Amino acid sequence: MGDGRGGGGGSQRPAWLQMYELVGKIGEGTYGLVFLARTKNRKGSIAIKKFKQSKEGDGVSPTAIREIMLLREITHENVVKLVNVHINHADMSLYLAFDYAEHDLYEIIRHHREQLNLAINPYTVKSLLWQLLNGLNYLHSNWIIHRDLKPSNILVMGEGEEHGIVKIADFGLARIYQAPLKPLYENGVVVTIWYRAPELLLGGKHYTSAVDMWAVGCIFAELITLKPLFQGVEVKATPNPFQFDQLDKIFKVLGHPTTEKWPTLANLPHWQTDQQNIQGRKYENPGLHNIVHLNQKSPAFDLLSKMLEYDPKKRITAAQALEHEYFRMEPLPGRNALVVTQPGEKIIAYPVRPVDTNTDFEGTATLQPSQPPSSGNGPGVAGQQMSQRGVPRQMQSMVGMPRVGPNASMAAYNAASQAGMANLNPANLPMQRGTGQQQLRRKDQGMGMQNQGYPQQKRR
Amino acid sequence: MADFETSTHRSKWIFTLEDLMERRASANDTALKMLDQYGTTRVEVNVDGSISYPEPLFDLNTTVEPNTNIKALTCQEEEYMRIFYEQKIQEVCKAFQFPIKIQATSLIYFKRFYLQWSVMQHHPKSIMLTCIYASCKVEENHVSAEELGKGIKQDHKPILNNEMLVLQSLGFDLIVYAPYRPINGFIHDLEESVEIRNSELEHLQNFHETAIQEANKIMLTDAPLLYPPGQLALAALRRSNEVHCVIDFERYMDGVLSRQNSQYSVSELLDFLGSIDYLVDKIKVPTIEDMKPIDRKLRMCLDPSSQDESKRREKKSRKSKRTA
Repeated sequence: MGDGRGGGGGSQRPAWLQMYELVGKIGEGTYGLVFLARTKNRKGSIAIKKFKQSKEGDGVSPTAIREIMLLREITHENVVKLVNVHINHADMSLYLAFDYAEHDLYEIIRHHREQLNLAINPYTVKSLLWQLLNGLNYLHSNWIIHRDLKPSNILVMGEGEEHGIVKIADFGLARIYQAPLKPLYENGVVVTIWYRAPELLLGGKHYTSAVDMWAVGCIFAELITLKPLFQGVEVKATPNPFQFDQLDKIFKVLGHPTTEKWPTLANLPHWQTDQQNIQGRKYENPGLHNIVHLNQKSPAFDLLSKMLEYDPKKRITAAQALEHEYFRMEPLPGRNALVVTQPGEKIIAYPVRPVDTNTDFEGTATLQPSQPPSSGNGPGVAGQQMSQRGVPRQMQSMVGMPRVGPNASMAAYNAASQAGMANLNPANLPMQRGTGQQQLRRKDQGMGMQNQGYPQQKRR
Repeated sequence: MADFETSTHRSKWIFTLEDLMERRASANDTALKMLDQYGTTRVEVNVDGSISYPEPLFDLNTTVEPNTNIKALTCQEEEYMRIFYEQKIQEVCKAFQFPIKIQATSLIYFKRFYLQWSVMQHHPKSIMLTCIYASCKVEENHVSAEELGKGIKQDHKPILNNEMLVLQSLGFDLIVYAPYRPINGFIHDLEESVEIRNSELEHLQNFHETAIQEANKIMLTDAPLLYPPGQLALAALRRSNEVHCVIDFERYMDGVLSRQNSQYSVSELLDFLGSIDYLVDKIKVPTIEDMKPIDRKLRMCLDPSSQDESKRREKKSRKSKRTA
């Protein structure tokens, strides 16, 4: 039957594509491209992330596999929802379909900084932060570390049922943290350094959930000041160079770390070997409050400084942060972070994502060469590298996918895998009877409990 | 551990015995029908990872030589085939000195794969390798397909060709739970409990090692598709305890259950462990000799032309004998 080989290739459109109406390209990263599409049979927009095939001869992209396998196991209101997985056999690429989120923190912050020249209102900051922590607490309690939190990876839903709800996205680097077999640095992973925790910058190889909390601290400060807190200049070299400038920026604000306050500091490789005289340098007194313009006695400042604690063991956890006094005082955080809280306050019309409509799902129809992905504030699902020709889409009601329980989402997956591989029926596993259903219900309850946590249930 | 309680493993991949039998019978049946209709059971996996079914036989009615010579494998023979290659997975993983987690993950992938396909449709030899390859990727112990192929002197291309098929057949549910971690947990718990005295620590180590070996046996049975990993671990520990007599097992379970607020009573749990024991005791790992006739049958099913060739070869050799 050897002559049957290769017959599946060719340029026919895969059947599953017909489920979607392509709107255009909204982003690009090292892993591949992100498209905006609408589902034909249901209302709602979908972000489709296309993963290129990994290195030649290396099969399916490990990043894609990682992201899929983690997202298959988790469901939370503040975590992006994987709706479908599709396979394009023609080029062995995977397409991950997510609920579409119109905004992200990178764009929201930028809009305030560059367009409005106006701080983000305290209710919105607090609600965004609370929801981010809520999602992160869920991940951490499921033993998942995100490892690449940055504003462009924190999505916010546009108008619709889930308006103003935070969704943590981009799990390509996330890990389940039961003793990884290989440390991350060996995988040649490149991530933004601005949100990177000091223990990693000093050569620590052990990832803990505390690295995510450091990033949240940086993001919190950025929400307040509209500027990245520690904008170090990245040293580009392989593998894993010493990022002196980033540490320098941190030390200038938080002061020089000491082994008294941070005992394990002495064991961190770059500190130990005193790279670039890192031990002997002199730094002024800490001045975080001057930069974020917060009263040192305010709960907001207290929370922020606990997130930016040097010693990862002492750094506040997501669960502890959710209990912090800051979230118990007015304005209380709410479910829709983007809603107006004060009468007379102006509704902010955040811009919608630019969409490059000159493309197809292959991403091949784009005429201009795509720029190399920047490592600074590289886009997650967001598309900062859009061509100038990108035509902003008409404002429209971006109704999220109808909220479906885990049951329905799996059914959707199966239905899709059927559609995608009409001739591969065995993959369509019927839902398990009995126990399975019960467990899903249990899971649902668990979710409910997770979400109950909005302090005082302030729904808007 | 990402939470087993809310996992796809628990919600989708724990079955009843009847479920398993039904699925396997239906996979076997599908292959049988293919054989009738197409004269082969092979499902071709193309270089791009897509699959295609064989062309129907020309003019079924007038086929002079219907493939009556080709016999399909029975469900029992399929089971032998699977067990044989499952034990091969353990061998290969050991040879590569992979962590035990990888071995377990590969085995579970392999078991799940053959709930949907018959061994007559996809030869277990290549699926076995793809399962190992995929679990290395998932468990972050990346090994290139080429390295893997070289290590066991096999062509690595089929490993890659089958990757998408395997991932999809697994429904992309790739996080799986094995009994080895819970075994470590129970051992750790025992170390701390008063029941074990210092002098017995070495004894405990032997107890631990035997438990791991018992878990390896359990992994060859259907038990991982029927019971959660914690119960598999307890079954392994109990079997090990029968050898080493380290603890009063029932009392220990009593203690564990009361602490954990378990949904099961001790007697219920003992029933489960009994069923796992039964599966381990009745399993027969076939030898290469046992496999020969089955493998010959399988090769016919997968590639009927090989039969013609062997016939031709037979004829030739007969001829040459005559002429000699």
